[in-house]
Amino acid sequence: MKEYLMLIRQNQDNSVKMTPEQMQEDIAKHVNWVRELVQNGNFKGGNPLMPMGKQLKGNSKIVTDGPYIESKECVSGYYFLLAPSLEEATEIAKGCPTLSIGGTVELREIILIEKM
Amino acid sequence: MDHSDAINQLTAHLFRENSGKMVAVLSRTFGLSQIDTVLDVVQDTFETALSKWRFSGVPDNPSGWLMQVAKNKALNTFKRENKSNPFDPTDYLDRFDTPVEQQLDILFSPKEIKDSQLRLLFTCCHPDFSPRNQIIITLNILCGFGVPEIANALLMNDEAVKKALTRSKQSLRKLDHILQAHIITQSAERLHTVQTILYLLFNEGYKTTRSKDAINHDLCYEAIRLAKLLESENYSETDALLSLMFFNLSRFPARLSTNDEWLSLEEQDRSRWNSVFIEEGYHYLNKATRQPELTRFHLEAIIASVHCSAPTFEATNWSTIAYLYSQLEKLEPSPLVTLNRIIAESYLPGTTNSIQALNAIASDALFQHNFLLLAAKGDIYKRQGELENARKAYEEALHLAVSPADKKFLTRKILFCQLHTN
Repeated sequence: MKEYLMLIRQNQDNSVKMTPEQMQEDIAKHVNWVRELVQNGNFKGGNPLMPMGKQLKGNSKIVTDGPYIESKECVSGYYFLLAPSLEEATEIAKGCPTLSIGGTVELREIILIEKM
Repeated sequence: MDHSDAINQLTAHLFRENSGKMVAVLSRTFGLSQIDTVLDVVQDTFETALSKWRFSGVPDNPSGWLMQVAKNKALNTFKRENKSNPFDPTDYLDRFDTPVEQQLDILFSPKEIKDSQLRLLFTCCHPDFSPRNQIIITLNILCGFGVPEIANALLMNDEAVKKALTRSKQSLRKLDHILQAHIITQSAERLHTVQTILYLLFNEGYKTTRSKDAINHDLCYEAIRLAKLLESENYSETDALLSLMFFNLSRFPARLSTNDEWLSLEEQDRSRWNSVFIEEGYHYLNKATRQPELTRFHLEAIIASVHCSAPTFEATNWSTIAYLYSQLEKLEPSPLVTLNRIIAESYLPGTTNSIQALNAIASDALFQHNFLLLAAKGDIYKRQGELENARKAYEEALHLAVSPADKKFLTRKILFCQLHTN
């Protein structure tokens, strides 16, 4: 099994607010999806991220709020997935409910240091 | 985070229900003049739940979790605005000196949450708003329905709902005194307005259908949930209202065919009527009839009970129903009540003048856009074997029908008439 980091990007634009019912449905979808991942042995962990953060840059260590000045999309959370290959991880990621509300997910294989 | 544990499932509509509770409590905390702040805190609370629960699963006590988060967010908002006292000094004098934290604890107690919802219900059902707007604002503020959900439930477009909400919220800001009053002043008249709005809300759910999900149960359940808030007021009219809601709700499982078409009382499989709800209906009817008071809700509840107690359509006690409708006509005259009386009488042996009776009320303004009279006419002609006349009446009814299920129902009737007229 290889490990993959799945980054979830979501539009932070609040102009399209979900109704309470829609939010509840979205939570239920996620909970069911994660349960499926756990049952199939594809889940290693994951956490949400606060939308606000800081960005530090270069030698001068300039600190800015960010990281999404140009783009309204920001990383809202991440999962660690277990899959035999990137192709199979991709198939798993297709089930992420955030995609159905216009989100983006990015998959990256984690290079496991101890195996090098 | 342990996902191997059994994952808590959210009970249906938990967010919506808690939305109403939080808005009610926070409106009393901030005042209705700050309704936008209140709605922001509630939205913010849900968004926090959304981002956490997606990953961690649902906590053991989701309602408690939401209330706690809302309370903390309210407290932070107060501190940010440097307000030390959420209450109006003229109110709750005895609590005036207690710190904000404790005041919020009081307001977030179950008894006060219920009381706050009741106050907000009286505020939303204010005669300043049109009945339609009272329903819209109640659904939004107390039932947590969003714009698309209200539009769907009331067969309106999103823009019209948004407009109505903006206007109503504007007026709501001025009604803060009702929410903050020391005791809720419910004159019989104000109570009656609230009951009427809940009755209308229930009827909306009873008659409308969603494009796909057929009967709009949600509105009916919300109407019952809110009516139960009034229960403690111990008015027999509220019991009668609840009774009539439960009796009508009991027939829901049988009201639609597998193809999502309405089934008439005659066509319904009575074994599918919900016996628990029928029991509830009788429970409230018994409570309602302990006092001598007789209102339209009493009469309508008794009529519904007569239908529910008939083992078959043929066994329906039409003479009792016709009599009750004639009493209702005296108490609360309306063309729809007269229509129902005529329909009930048409089932009595020897009645021959039903069509003339219908024609006599057909010019009423209501029936220029309501298809029920024409549909009843079609039914009576059909039972008399005059299928050509029946078809014509159904076709005229079809022109007036709006909802897809109503149209399907009438189309099926027209088809029947065509098939049976050689």
